[in-house]
Amino acid sequence: MAFTSDLKVEDSVAFITLTGELDASVAGQFKSIVEQAASAGPSKLVVYMDKLEFMASAGLRVLIFAKQKMGVGVSIYLIGCQELVKGTLEMSGFHQSVYMQDNYAEA
Amino acid sequence: MECDNRLNVAANLDSLGAIGQFIKDAAECAGLDKRAAYNLRLAVDEIATNIVMHGYEEASLNGNIEVSKEIREDALIITLEDSGVAFDPRTMNMPTEEDLSVPLEDRAIGGLGIYLTVNGVDRFDYERVNNHNRNIFEVKRNTIN
Repeated sequence: MAFTSDLKVEDSVAFITLTGELDASVAGQFKSIVEQAASAGPSKLVVYMDKLEFMASAGLRVLIFAKQKMGVGVSIYLIGCQELVKGTLEMSGFHQSVYMQDNYAEA
Repeated sequence: MECDNRLNVAANLDSLGAIGQFIKDAAECAGLDKRAAYNLRLAVDEIATNIVMHGYEEASLNGNIEVSKEIREDALIITLEDSGVAFDPRTMNMPTEEDLSVPLEDRAIGGLGIYLTVNGVDRFDYERVNNHNRNIFEVKRNTIN
């Protein structure tokens, strides 16, 4: 399934929605949307993952980039990860650095 | 389900989708469960990405990647063969447990792909044969006797 990524910034929270399959051929699209999000100077980054069916390490590297670009103070929330994508995130130790939640509720 | 035994694609990133589909079909033919199929697809995707980027593009080479499958009684074997720069992925530095617990803001970028590859299959091997790289992935089948 084709990859799509979409950005919306609301009340200084950046919301990115990912769908389809995220491999190295499309990781550049994800990276540029993260750059757009970073330029808005958000306080949080919320990524909707429920329609993302596959993620290779190229996607993990963009998440590392997001954290390093936006800074330690900007928490990253990954919402609704599918089980197998979640397995990759956990195997890579990302669950220790980001909030993995079923839903995002305004804190 | 009918499954092709071979797929030959141009060595560029746009071919990753076709390789992924070939692996999904092969996994289904071999009766792998969802997790084993996903992890195999991920492992092959990571190595194919390395072949394209380091074996061909960085060296300004063009060529192909041939993907083949063999279903044995006890295992599914996937082989990637390419004529790019000689490279044994097993020589790459893999992140340690300690590296993987470093917070993202302090993380180094490299090594995750090979880590996911090695951890995603039952056996990962590399051979150099007739000036070709051959990467071999093996996943056990849970056949009911």
